[in-house]
Amino acid sequence: MAGIYIHVPFCKQKCTYCDFASYPRELSKAESYFACLYREIQGRAKQYPNKIIDTVYIGGGTPSVVDANLIAGAIRQVKKCFTVKKDAEITIELNPGTVDEQKIKLYKQVGINRFSIGLQTGFDEQLKKLNRIHTAKDFLQCCNLLKGENISADVLIGLHDQTLEQVKKTVDLALAGGVSHISVYALTPEVGTPIYTDYLNGELLSDDETADVYDGVRAYLKEKGFERYEVSNFAKAGFRSRHNMNYWKRGEYIGVGVSASSFVDGRRFTNTFKIDEYINAVIYNKSPEISSDVIEGSDAQFEQIMLALRTSDGLNIKEFNQNFSVDFDNEYKEVLAKKMRFMERKGDILTIKDEYLYVQNDIILEFMK
Amino acid sequence: MSINKENVRNFCIVAHIDHGKSTLADRLMEKTGQVSERDMEEQLLDSMDLERERGITIKLTPVRMFYKAKNGKEYVFNLIDTPGHVDFTYEVSRSLKACEGAILIVDATQGVQAQTLANAYLAIDNDLEIMPVINKVDLASARPDDVAMEVEEILGIEATDAPRISAKTGYNIEEVLEQIIEKVPAPKGDENAPLKALIFDSYYDNFKGVICFVRIMDGKVKIGTKIKTFMSDKQFDVTEVGVFSPKMQPKDELCAGEVGYIAASIKSIEDTAVGDTITQVENPALEPLAGYKKALPMVFSGVFPLDGSKFNDLKDALLKLKLNDAALSIEPDNSAALGFGFRCGFLGLLHMDVIQERIEREFDLDIITTAPSVSYKVYKTDGTQLVIENPTHLPPVTEIDYMEEPVINASIFTPPDYVGPIMELCQFKRGVYKDMVYLDKTRVELKYTLPLNEIIYDFFDSLKSRTKGYASFDYEIAGYQRSDLVKMDMLLNGDICDALSIIVHKDKAYERGRQIAEKLKDVIPRQMFEIPIQAAIGGKIIARETVKAFRKDVLAKCYGGDVTRKKKLLEKQKEGKKKMRSIGTVEIPSEAFISILKTDNDR
Repeated sequence: MAGIYIHVPFCKQKCTYCDFASYPRELSKAESYFACLYREIQGRAKQYPNKIIDTVYIGGGTPSVVDANLIAGAIRQVKKCFTVKKDAEITIELNPGTVDEQKIKLYKQVGINRFSIGLQTGFDEQLKKLNRIHTAKDFLQCCNLLKGENISADVLIGLHDQTLEQVKKTVDLALAGGVSHISVYALTPEVGTPIYTDYLNGELLSDDETADVYDGVRAYLKEKGFERYEVSNFAKAGFRSRHNMNYWKRGEYIGVGVSASSFVDGRRFTNTFKIDEYINAVIYNKSPEISSDVIEGSDAQFEQIMLALRTSDGLNIKEFNQNFSVDFDNEYKEVLAKKMRFMERKGDILTIKDEYLYVQNDIILEFMK
Repeated sequence: MSINKENVRNFCIVAHIDHGKSTLADRLMEKTGQVSERDMEEQLLDSMDLERERGITIKLTPVRMFYKAKNGKEYVFNLIDTPGHVDFTYEVSRSLKACEGAILIVDATQGVQAQTLANAYLAIDNDLEIMPVINKVDLASARPDDVAMEVEEILGIEATDAPRISAKTGYNIEEVLEQIIEKVPAPKGDENAPLKALIFDSYYDNFKGVICFVRIMDGKVKIGTKIKTFMSDKQFDVTEVGVFSPKMQPKDELCAGEVGYIAASIKSIEDTAVGDTITQVENPALEPLAGYKKALPMVFSGVFPLDGSKFNDLKDALLKLKLNDAALSIEPDNSAALGFGFRCGFLGLLHMDVIQERIEREFDLDIITTAPSVSYKVYKTDGTQLVIENPTHLPPVTEIDYMEEPVINASIFTPPDYVGPIMELCQFKRGVYKDMVYLDKTRVELKYTLPLNEIIYDFFDSLKSRTKGYASFDYEIAGYQRSDLVKMDMLLNGDICDALSIIVHKDKAYERGRQIAEKLKDVIPRQMFEIPIQAAIGGKIIARETVKAFRKDVLAKCYGGDVTRKKKLLEKQKEGKKKMRSIGTVEIPSEAFISILKTDNDR
């Protein structure tokens, strides 16, 4: 079972915190870009012929800014070239104000069955400050178009002077929109983004304040029937993101398009971040990859641990021992002696205790060899 | 080629720090054609990086020069450079033993300073002929005639005809060379007598074994000579002899009166002690030369490898350093917090600093040094007496009758304006006022008795900052004095960290406890849990600080493209952790142990 990720590197305008491969001024290249995407999909399918596809995720950028026919074409191409399971989860990311009835209709027609909306915050001043293209009202309108569908919303914490109350109201707004999945991301100021200046000037919430907000919203979501199944992800029963769960289980996935990463047959590789470079590579039948690593031995074990411990499902030690032909308890004896008090063991399952999930780096890096 | 002893001069240069010792040495070498001006690297003798960076001479370095005098004869000069800092007095006395004369440099603007005195007396004690030289006459504020008077008045050395020179510009250097011939006696000693060579320094060469720096007092030595030392029974065949020019230059033989080196495939560092006498196996000398007074380490500190598995590397490094630094004492030590290491004794804080840096630079080892301590005398209730250099070895309070701490007699030289601030500082450091003497209108000598354990922290720095650098300071050990001392422990998360324990005067315990706790709070990074930091005497907590738990360190997103990035981030964090030491459940950066030194700030 494997996932497919399709990257759409276009948007209307850059958000102040965004350091993804997304180029608002290159929107005119969308058609040629998608032509190349189709070709890469075909090529990857030939390269990895026996993968059965369980999830597809179209991310960006803002995939919904491009012509819906291009998106539909990509999905059709995936279905044509790969074996895609009937009940596959197919997600698209979209922003309020970029979709209409027609687009949604087409998305649904080609099998898209999950919609991830970038809400970020329910407060218009904050949205404006982040250079988002929409308002809180636009979000509700968008949800209205998606009534009855499987909707997820992204929420940011740690914004300028943000309070827990504001985040709770944002959650309320998402619930009013009918979402069954919420991702709560702590804002990470990256060097080179406009918001990094605000961070340097101390205008954003401190780590301690962000942690307070996080704890508050975690409790609030629990009250509302959402389970935290990963550090930043909350879902009602049955609404976890299967595509993302695959990442944390260290399952295989094939990424296509600019900046997309893949993990197939023990190899991690990533495509170029530049649109022109990508298009030229594909046209001339060259590899668009810019990095490639075969992951083996303790490195592979470490990935498995690092990823699994982000989730409430935790690490299945029995499976781990089978996969890597080791004895986990013996192999990591010292780490366990040192850090077990921050973790929990139920049968074969090792998890980080709830209250330490947000400070897990300190535990995880002990497993690194 | 045999050298006529009459034409040899062995001398050293002594001076107060920064009066121009190394510069004059460079100039002498240049004038005698030992190095061309073009090849001249600033301060040739200070060959250690550390010496150049700090502008100080730490190790002694011999060099041989040829000089054609005005009388037409050619002379061989052996110059043995010496360190200037008070911590290295011991090294100075070593080089003096190998000389017949000493050039005493005095700065024409500053006059006689603390180390001028100390070094001049040291030279006099060693029966050396002293030849004063007045340096820096090119400076506008130079007052050479006053300074010459000062030398005569304070030191009682004839200085009217002392060369007035500028080592910097090279002015009047010939006069120095001529006076060396005139004033420094030629070496005595009998070439035909049994070999007696004084080892005044040595170091380990990976190819040649131990290289001994020697002054031949009697006899001669050449390749093939079977030698032995007085302290060890082992015999060695000489493989190489030579002189310093200033690089080592092999020669056929070394004769009485000469300064040079001997290599004899000596593999073990312990077989040649500095101060020992080398003689020949056949027809040996009967008596060794008078050796050195053993230098007493005054400051003790734990030295531990950051990485516990490097214990043996650290041992080798310390032994190699000890080879030519007899003042360094080494004893195995064991700390609950830091594992196996060494308790090292140093002459002073600068010495400690230098050794620490040499271990890190020359041997590429990361080490943890604990706060320095002095040696205390403990009188127990059962009538026995102990000497304690490590606070953790202090017996329980109930077994202690009383304790004594070492004190020093300090002489502080200062312009009169700073007398007030210095007295305040000395009082703060538990000093007892002894005397105050006006040396002249611009200089006062203040005399205090001070506990050594107050000096080893930041006394030098405080003195400098309070006097804008004008005051200088010299001291000698004045024995022990009974004192109300307590052991103060630091507890991290409830556990005593033995490496942080200190012995402190009772009246200062509260203040230091608070300062150290505050300092530790700053240097210990936040961890997954709250860490109480407590200072305690016996079971009583006297200060407390808290390092709050950190709340967030996780990467918010970890999807398909983030795995590699996240791994790199964690690798970096892990790298940072390698600089940390786990004490119980708490991780402490290695600099924490020494940082508690720097808490004694001037209120």
